Amino acid sequence: MVLVAGYFFRIFMKYKDELIKSMNYLAKKPNTIFLGQSIKYSGNAIFNTLINVPNNKKIELPVFEDTQMGISVGLALQGFVPITCYPRFDFLILAFNQLVNHLDKIRKMSRNEMKPKVIIRTSIGSKNPLDGGPQHTQNYTKIFQDTLTEVKVVFLNSPNQIFSSFKKAYLDKKSYSYLFIEHGDFYNQK
Amino acid sequence: MNKNDLLKFEEKIKIIYESGKIRAPIHLSGNNEEPLIKIFKKIKRNDWVLSTWRNHYHALLKGIPEKWLEKEIIAGRSMGINNLKYKFYSSAIVAGIIPIALGIAKGLKLKKSRNTVWVFIGDMTFETGVFNECYKYAKNHKLPVKFVVEDNNLSTNTPTDKVWVKKTAKPRDVIYYKYKRKYPHHGTGGWVLF
Repeated sequence: MVLVAGYFFRIFMKYKDELIKSMNYLAKKPNTIFLGQSIKYSGNAIFNTLINVPNNKKIELPVFEDTQMGISVGLALQGFVPITCYPRFDFLILAFNQLVNHLDKIRKMSRNEMKPKVIIRTSIGSKNPLDGGPQHTQNYTKIFQDTLTEVKVVFLNSPNQIFSSFKKAYLDKKSYSYLFIEHGDFYNQK
Repeated sequence: MNKNDLLKFEEKIKIIYESGKIRAPIHLSGNNEEPLIKIFKKIKRNDWVLSTWRNHYHALLKGIPEKWLEKEIIAGRSMGINNLKYKFYSSAIVAGIIPIALGIAKGLKLKKSRNTVWVFIGDMTFETGVFNECYKYAKNHKLPVKFVVEDNNLSTNTPTDKVWVKKTAKPRDVIYYKYKRKYPHHGTGGWVLF
């Protein structure tokens, strides 16, 4: 709270700050592990939210999106909680097979025995100040919501919902997986 | 479990299937009992085994009880036999198990476990890009994964050597055996009235 001209105003952290706070929270958990491209090496907006995550909690991967999702499922079957990062929604499509055919179906296929918890992060590419064009800025939220039956889909529209959403995902006792969709433009706007 | 036990199990499933009790596809194994028995002698109890839609022999040799497996098959889950206690995962998506195997292996390595992930794939899957990138990653990162290629030269009924013109040579660290399919791709070859 700050006092300005006799009034108290609550200062909300910004979108990016809330993401950083959430990642800091997850990084402190002993069973979490962060993976993807540009996790250890700069190159996208998500990287900037992982600045406080120690390098020994990060696995920098080659570009093989579907394999990345499979690796995440496998790590989760070993008891880890992978935070698997896809810098743009357009790239997550390449992991649709592992996401839909495995992560989303594995409970049903194993009579609820196998419950890998994977936290997926992706971001709708920003249009300002640079417009990434048709292959870097798409929003496929509805398609993923309509397709996924087990994996929970959360669109991060407001800074206020970010930390509580990640915390809820991590603490989810039913061990559901979550897909968090960020918006690149909100990093600077909200 | 010996060769005779394996043969008998699939024959029993064949009879049940032909009686119309199984309302889902089945993919029976056959003619590969001996190489599999030999391979499974190396597989430890706490190793993981990842398999395909043709998984009955793998499941039995991993130690999954016959009765339990039979129930799963009758319940229509033959293509995806999964059992956490026996560390057994199978999938009906071509090459789908390979990236998951990498993740399990990475987890085992991080936990400093001495167990291995055994991945059973067909000869068509061996030719895929997924196998290529995953094999390379596993090898370069020294992950505890062992690949086994079961070559019947058929993917459904498509001959691998015809569609690829020629087959890729198998690396020496990949276990490989060849066999001739005993049963059709799915079903038993007989007419079933459901």
